[in-house]
Amino acid sequence: MRENNGGSQEIQVGFVGNPNCGKTTLFNAYTGARLKVANWPGVTVEKKEGAMKYHNHRFRLVDLPGIYSLTSYTMEEKLSRQYIMEEDVDVIVNVVDASNLERNLYLTLQLIELGKPVILALNMMDVVAERGMEIDLHRLPEMLGIPVIPVSARKKTGLDILMHAVAHHRDKKNDEKLEHHHQTAAQSKHIHKHHEEYTVVYSDEIEDRIDEIGAIWQKHYGARKEAVPKTAGLRWISIKLLERDPEILEAYPLAAAELPRESYETRITNEKYDFIEEIVEEVVVNKSSKEEHTDRIDRLLTHPVWGLPAFLGIMALVFFLTFTIGDWLKGYFELALDAFSGGVAAALGFLYAGDILTSLIVDGIIAGVGGILTFLPNIFILFLALAILEDSGYMARVAYVMDGVMGRIGLSGRAFIPMLLGFGCTVPAVMASRALEDPADRRKTILITPFMSCSARLPIYVLFSEIFFARHAMLAAYSMYVIGLVIAILSAFVMRLFQKKRQEHTLLIELPEYKTPNAHTIFIYVWEKVKDYLTKAGTTIFFASVVLWAMLNFGPSGLVEDMSQSFGAMFGRGLAPVLAPAGLGMWQVALAFLSGLAAKEVVVSSFSVLYGIGNINSAAGMAELSGILAASGFTALNAYALMVFCLLYTPCVATLATMRRELNSGKYMAVSLVFQLAVAWLAATLVYQAGRLLGLG
Amino acid sequence: MKLCETEIGRQYRIARMNLPEDTGRRLRALGMTQETSLSVLNRKRNGCLIFKVRGTRLAVGRDIANAIEVESL
Repeated sequence: MRENNGGSQEIQVGFVGNPNCGKTTLFNAYTGARLKVANWPGVTVEKKEGAMKYHNHRFRLVDLPGIYSLTSYTMEEKLSRQYIMEEDVDVIVNVVDASNLERNLYLTLQLIELGKPVILALNMMDVVAERGMEIDLHRLPEMLGIPVIPVSARKKTGLDILMHAVAHHRDKKNDEKLEHHHQTAAQSKHIHKHHEEYTVVYSDEIEDRIDEIGAIWQKHYGARKEAVPKTAGLRWISIKLLERDPEILEAYPLAAAELPRESYETRITNEKYDFIEEIVEEVVVNKSSKEEHTDRIDRLLTHPVWGLPAFLGIMALVFFLTFTIGDWLKGYFELALDAFSGGVAAALGFLYAGDILTSLIVDGIIAGVGGILTFLPNIFILFLALAILEDSGYMARVAYVMDGVMGRIGLSGRAFIPMLLGFGCTVPAVMASRALEDPADRRKTILITPFMSCSARLPIYVLFSEIFFARHAMLAAYSMYVIGLVIAILSAFVMRLFQKKRQEHTLLIELPEYKTPNAHTIFIYVWEKVKDYLTKAGTTIFFASVVLWAMLNFGPSGLVEDMSQSFGAMFGRGLAPVLAPAGLGMWQVALAFLSGLAAKEVVVSSFSVLYGIGNINSAAGMAELSGILAASGFTALNAYALMVFCLLYTPCVATLATMRRELNSGKYMAVSLVFQLAVAWLAATLVYQAGRLLGLG
Repeated sequence: MKLCETEIGRQYRIARMNLPEDTGRRLRALGMTQETSLSVLNRKRNGCLIFKVRGTRLAVGRDIANAIEVESL
């Protein structure tokens, strides 16, 4: 508990539970936060904190990544375990998917054994009701010995009662216990009163071992106060020692002779599940299985033969909608932007603003930032489609469907989830790789994810494919996604060749029930992305446009009339020869690529600023750019090489920073930066030279 | 018989698991304890499959499916 200045205490509450049971939805409901929720296991990879007040209590709520047990082995699970074990958590709120008690209660029993105050939040009671099931809310707390509060995070019911329970139970040890388990106290040969003390009581043999190992532990470490974890009691440590938990054994080394000859982990787990079966038997009424619709959908979507074509079809549909509906909406956007741009120019003229200022605002800012805003409809549709995919429950199926393909490159199908998220934005996609167990797999996934074409690259394809490929524009843009995917898979394949130890990588993922995507969830998801895009336009792209404008309007001789005398042109000319073999040896292109490191959209905004085109995404703007480029011999082939280069080259600085952090290595990040630059150059050159040989361009 | 050789739509009981320690722990935590019954929902030719155990649908890769012995129910 933390004291604050006012003297009232803040209660620290940790939300712990299985993946995909609604912890983040509950957290959002309390704090008003808009953390991402979706219907696949492993969405939350970071610990997030928030504050709230209820009556005179102040709470610090902590949302944690989902875990199946306290013996965790992926990175995000370790984070949760570490938090529960080490931090000053006052009350654990164990969020449980009530429609799947049997599996969820395993973690609950482990948490109860830990000895901290635990409150069970029975989430998704609405789903339980829908399925015609009932849960005995009197018997369940009796059997578990902890308070049980039914809630619905989505419908925001039961929230006050849950916090009320938290406030009242933070100091209480779990008191009322009950007898259960196969034998009565009278039959037991083990002399104990465990049924009065503990929720989970094991068979005599295990109880004996717990007492023995506990005594040994006491002898070695009992005197050391700091040795005892803040949260855990002796019984918990003893059980973990019997299970040969690696972390506990490391913290409290015992001689081999002091440990039992074999691990009791299997038996302890079995006995916990035996108890859970007893609970479920007594507490769940009408265990109906009204879940046929998930099985029906899965019959097609995870079909041995049709699963993969179905996935490819779904992705094709996503991009089809992105391009067609996005373009249809774009028209309205353009009208507004043209009116705005014209109005500002007129107003500036009216105010007698100097030429330089007018040029900065109209040619620099409005051209750069405004041009980018017209792509918002495409971005909006793309994220809307991804949001629906994520919330429907399909994501986990993709891991299964792609497992065969991914296996060939030495990764499990699970690694495809970050890659798929990469179609949206590379930054969260790289973070999502935390759900992979093996560090080498994680690294590999992080290194190939940037090849998946993110939404920031979309404006480049939209613009150049519409200018140069007219009727085949969509096909040209589609091909970028395919090329990105193929290069990602090839890169992983090459990395596998260089890998010394080749272990097998196994898929293991829970498949949630399908559900109709929730409108509110989708709204938040899409709105956050749209907000990000607008913020990026207002900050990164704004800045990049101003800097680029300055670079193009000033040269060694001061303000320049002719852009080709500017600093920017000098810079670009230095780089252009390198790009010449790819048919991109123009200083303007080189400069646009360089600016694109700030954010990939900046490649497009740079063209606006470079050629002073007011609305580059309108028919007039495109015609203008097309005319200028054509004059310098820039053909469809050059445009395709440009798209390929933009698809593959070094990702934006935000991605690089995330990669550095997640790889925990500047070296790997630098290697990936150079690698991608090289791949981009090679691929673009290949396209251009091959095209020329075939007489194109 | 191995889990990867099972038939779609049928029920089985777990007999043995010969898995690496941490994968085994994880599967047991998910409720795949001995004698637990499961039903196979879908399976690819390479042995990667989806099954339902204790009300949960799990997808596992070939290597895991290869290391789990089941008995027909």
